[in-house]
Amino acid sequence: MSQPLKCSLCEEAATVHLSQVVQGKVTKVHLCEACAQKGGATDPAIFQLADALIAPAVAPSLICPHCGFTDIDFRKRGRLGCPDCWKTFGDALGGLLIKVQHEATHVGRAPAGVAPVGQMRHRLEVARTEMEVAIAAEDFEGAARLRDEIAQLELQLSNS
Amino acid sequence: MSVQDILSAENELTHMLGAQQAVVLSTRIRLARNLDGMPFPGWAKVPQRKEIAERCVEALNRSPKFRRGHVLRMGELTDLDRAVLVERHLVSKELASGKFGAAVISKDQTCSVMINEEDHLRIQVVKAGWHLRGTWNIAEQLDDALGPDLKFAFSEKLGYLTACPTNVGTGLRASAMVHLPGLCLAGHMEKVSRALSQDGLAVRGWLGEGTEAAGNIFQISNQQTLGLSEDAILRHLSGWIKNVVEQEWNARRKLATEEGDKFVDRLSRSLGVLRYARLLTSAESMNMLSHLRLACDMGCLPEERRHIVDRLMIEGQPAHVQMRQGGELDSDGRDLRRAAVVREALRDFPEPGPPTA
Repeated sequence: MSQPLKCSLCEEAATVHLSQVVQGKVTKVHLCEACAQKGGATDPAIFQLADALIAPAVAPSLICPHCGFTDIDFRKRGRLGCPDCWKTFGDALGGLLIKVQHEATHVGRAPAGVAPVGQMRHRLEVARTEMEVAIAAEDFEGAARLRDEIAQLELQLSNS
Repeated sequence: MSVQDILSAENELTHMLGAQQAVVLSTRIRLARNLDGMPFPGWAKVPQRKEIAERCVEALNRSPKFRRGHVLRMGELTDLDRAVLVERHLVSKELASGKFGAAVISKDQTCSVMINEEDHLRIQVVKAGWHLRGTWNIAEQLDDALGPDLKFAFSEKLGYLTACPTNVGTGLRASAMVHLPGLCLAGHMEKVSRALSQDGLAVRGWLGEGTEAAGNIFQISNQQTLGLSEDAILRHLSGWIKNVVEQEWNARRKLATEEGDKFVDRLSRSLGVLRYARLLTSAESMNMLSHLRLACDMGCLPEERRHIVDRLMIEGQPAHVQMRQGGELDSDGRDLRRAAVVREALRDFPEPGPPTA
């Protein structure tokens, strides 16, 4: 231990050291006072973010063709350069998204004029499960209604 | 339009125009939105940031919600103006610290849009008390009204695209500002806060990220924005808030019963200090005002005095005190001035009696 550890987020000297044990694997995050404060001790997202930031880069340099933002920039700032960056970095950020968000696909609203595909897909999955439950419970009227809804959703999804 | 106009205008949070509640001070909805094809504010060059600001302000000016509202450009405001806006929760610290940020605020101060913060637009709706659905409905209408005009960046797979991965998807942050003196006094707050964060909710101090929980006030919000529908996010938060409100009431009643005279003594001492102190720091006044609010909720003081306490919590903040004085003050000067404001407002407060709630 000759050199003091640097903060995983901003390169100041780290004074807060966190060890996380996930499925038997120990990961360590080192933060300076300011970043640790900023994150808040009860806010797990920032630490998960820090984890991902210090993970060794698996992919070679990526550059957004639209705005020139690179993966090195992301590692420094933790934020992207432009909406198009998501196309370039989307796959590389998949793991981080799962860590921070626990999910990888949008199921919420869409702007007016855009079909809410995610929501329809989500509803389709739920309706299929509900139909199985209805059949098992011999609720054939309910099952028929769900079958119609599923057909309608499948049609809408194939058209969008 | 000046910041002073905003402060002197009556609004829900300071003038009891909305329905007030004992535990939930306010409900907030925030939507992060970005313009398709434009770099995010943190990466955009100065001319681009100016263009973004102009496009957004124009679109907002066309929206009926912002008719006769305020357009504030951060670069044109004094440090004190910006600090007051932060204390009012109308803009974030991050927006206030940049030169190219702007805020458009509706006349009744319910809706505010931050431009060029971390994202191009942060649409915010705040209502006094606990009104999650109503607050959401207004935000949804604003989103629908602005979308066609501004063409928001959206991907079928990832939803609304944002600068930070923590906001992508719905871009929705729903939160409640809650006053939890019972849980704090009983020493349960840490446990509650741990349970909330384990179930995907963030607990923060009263000015948001990285701030202290002055006056036993906390902000509880959803963390996850992707893979859940807006409805699911709201239901999850709503369930927990109901739970926290119930736990807070249980803690309050238990304290009042078990402590008896000690309970009323604590609230009375706080009123005594606030009424006679000549120097009051911000932290001290917040904590004592928290006791007074508790006294109003519990029937130790008349409930109709609660809005006076709420207003003092807002107006006792450092920038507000200075704004009222008409200029910058050092820390002693602020404490002196704050004490005078509080003393004047509480002059005819009655003596706290035993709890009735």
